Amino acid sequence: MSLALPLHAAGRRGWPGRGEAVFWLFALPFAALTVLFGLWPILLGIEVSFTDSATALRPLPRFVGFANYAAVLADPAFLQSLWRTLLYTGLAVAANVGFALLYALLLDSVAIGRGRTVLKLIAFLPVVTPDIAGYVVWRWLFDQSFGALNATLKLLGLPGFGGIASPGTAMLAVLLAELWHHAGLYVLIFLANLAICDRALSEAAEVDGARAWQRLLYVVLPQLRPALALNLVYALIQFLKTFTVVVVMTKGGPNGATNFVSYYAYEMFDQGNYGQATAMATLLFAIVLLAASTAWRLGEPGAA
Amino acid sequence: MGRSITLARILLGGVFAVLLAGAAAAQQLTVWHDLGDNGTKWFAEAGQAFAEAHPGVTVRAISFPTEQWFGRVIAAINTETAPDLIFNNYERVIRIAGETGKVMDLRPVFAGIADKDFLSDDDLRVATYGGRMIILPVQRVQMAFGVRKSWLRKVGENFPATWEDALRVGGKFQADDPEGTGKGSVFGFALEAAHPRDLIHMLDLFTFGAGLRHTLIDPAGAIVIDEPQHAKVLEEFLKLFTTYHLVPPDTINYSFNEMYQVIEGGRAGMFRVGDWNVTKWDSQAIKGDFLVGPWPRFFADRQNAVVIGGMRGVAVPENSPHKELAEQFAAFLLSKPAQQASLRDVGSAVRKDLDVSGLSERASMFARPTWPLVAYDFPESVHSWYPQLEAAFHRKLLGAIANPPTDYPAFIHQTAEEMRALAKTLAQKPG
Repeated sequence: MSLALPLHAAGRRGWPGRGEAVFWLFALPFAALTVLFGLWPILLGIEVSFTDSATALRPLPRFVGFANYAAVLADPAFLQSLWRTLLYTGLAVAANVGFALLYALLLDSVAIGRGRTVLKLIAFLPVVTPDIAGYVVWRWLFDQSFGALNATLKLLGLPGFGGIASPGTAMLAVLLAELWHHAGLYVLIFLANLAICDRALSEAAEVDGARAWQRLLYVVLPQLRPALALNLVYALIQFLKTFTVVVVMTKGGPNGATNFVSYYAYEMFDQGNYGQATAMATLLFAIVLLAASTAWRLGEPGAA
Repeated sequence: MGRSITLARILLGGVFAVLLAGAAAAQQLTVWHDLGDNGTKWFAEAGQAFAEAHPGVTVRAISFPTEQWFGRVIAAINTETAPDLIFNNYERVIRIAGETGKVMDLRPVFAGIADKDFLSDDDLRVATYGGRMIILPVQRVQMAFGVRKSWLRKVGENFPATWEDALRVGGKFQADDPEGTGKGSVFGFALEAAHPRDLIHMLDLFTFGAGLRHTLIDPAGAIVIDEPQHAKVLEEFLKLFTTYHLVPPDTINYSFNEMYQVIEGGRAGMFRVGDWNVTKWDSQAIKGDFLVGPWPRFFADRQNAVVIGGMRGVAVPENSPHKELAEQFAAFLLSKPAQQASLRDVGSAVRKDLDVSGLSERASMFARPTWPLVAYDFPESVHSWYPQLEAAFHRKLLGAIANPPTDYPAFIHQTAEEMRALAKTLAQKPG
């Protein structure tokens, strides 16, 4: 994928042409807003990560070099939190993108008939549901004393699910809630890509005797590369920064099982450890940037 | 002609003086607090009373959720956009003083107050930090043990006096379903555990309520959790979660909001009642269906008590926009009209000469306490690194709740040793 160049821009020097000027006229306000509300806070956050917390918000903060980074990297709770974040991201990206791909293929299948609209609605409604409201309901569903999930399991004579009350199942419980909330968007992106896939290629492969799984693997999936790349990048960013679901459902618990880096940094910030909190946020920002750009590059045509 | 000019000059001068005086007097004091609507109402009433002696002065109170209050106050003071006054609990103002270094020493203001004999030395101790008076203590914070009155009646029990009573009553609440919502839907106790202050605050109440001093560390820096009586309280406290199962299983993720939902939703029979809760719980949510008293007795040789969780007070930032007026209003909050309004609206005050005739039975018990009182010790005012120690202790306790130890005394001893090592390290750190 490549960025589209502004009209008449390539290879031109000196005053911009009319088309180019119009482009910049439209682009500049948004570029200015991005710098003001996007880049500036990031730079300020990075600056705070090099200051002593007690003076971080003063007009003349005391700079402490990499001391906050050293403290953060020596903190076993942060290292555990980082490991949990990476594990959760891996699981959540695989679950969300995998589920969304299968769901989109199901929706794209001719066999599904009139149920398509209902299934699309089922997938997309959670995306437009306010996340806090959704996660509160999930918290109640998982509640050990009055939650519907365990009541149903009990009714069926099945063992109970620890949900968010048990360190062994809390991450899974959070993942399920996030899958419900986010997968619909990934489905939508896959569906958009499927709509522009060349069906003639699939039909030709079928005529040539390719089985269904071979057509999926060698004909459909390569055509879904743009959607896969986009979903992977978006999901990586989304789940590395997992925050709201933790605030609403677990507060990092139980026993730190869902204490992901975003939440841990927030907790540190709330305790007035601004330097260490922003050092954590900066490290996470670097990881997000690295992961997203790697995934994006891998999704480029011609990449291995 | 000359007389007319003189008259005109006098009139103009008069108008100008009136305008100038009006402009000078029309000042607004801003107070940032976290007491919600009741607190805002109290400040409005106190402000009106203050304005009788200070015409043109208005008081604007803004309430923030506690966690937002911290961030906003620190940021405002450090960026020279401070409010005139801030109001909160002593230990929270300590943090503001530590983070900003710009909280006024109110000793001169306090010295100028004539009517202040109702404040004891203990009261003044929890207003002072690092030799400076960082708050004027305005409301005493009392935290009692509350029990659902109708539930006690239904299970044929009285207000639990001892720990054994509390365990028995809690068991009956869970077994007998006094709310009629189905077995397993109600619990003995409502607690909170998610954050360090949530869980350790709950342990503080049982520990100090049992008549012990210090929960984790004493002022000399000694870890106390493995002393026999402390260890007993800690073990029983942990067993509420792990062995007796007298709290909702999700309590491990509960903070204040969730704990209040359990209490107000009628899902727990025993809970903390702060003096500031009574006004609301008398009329809404619990609708007066609760008894209050001292925390359960653990030891025959120790007096159980209601816990004084310190003081709420008013502080003045060094960069308060109307510093002198702010000091006057801070002092005024100790006057009888302001204190009477505080008792009426917030359910708490420090003066002893207030009219309590209009208060409910429970509010009167807080206003004129006849029960034994024991004061919390505020380790953070002595050991600046206490929050880090508390966070580590919290992690250990959460670990024990998630994976219950087979041998509690051994777990407590090991935890004590780890806390000793950590306290030593933290105490040696510079700054």
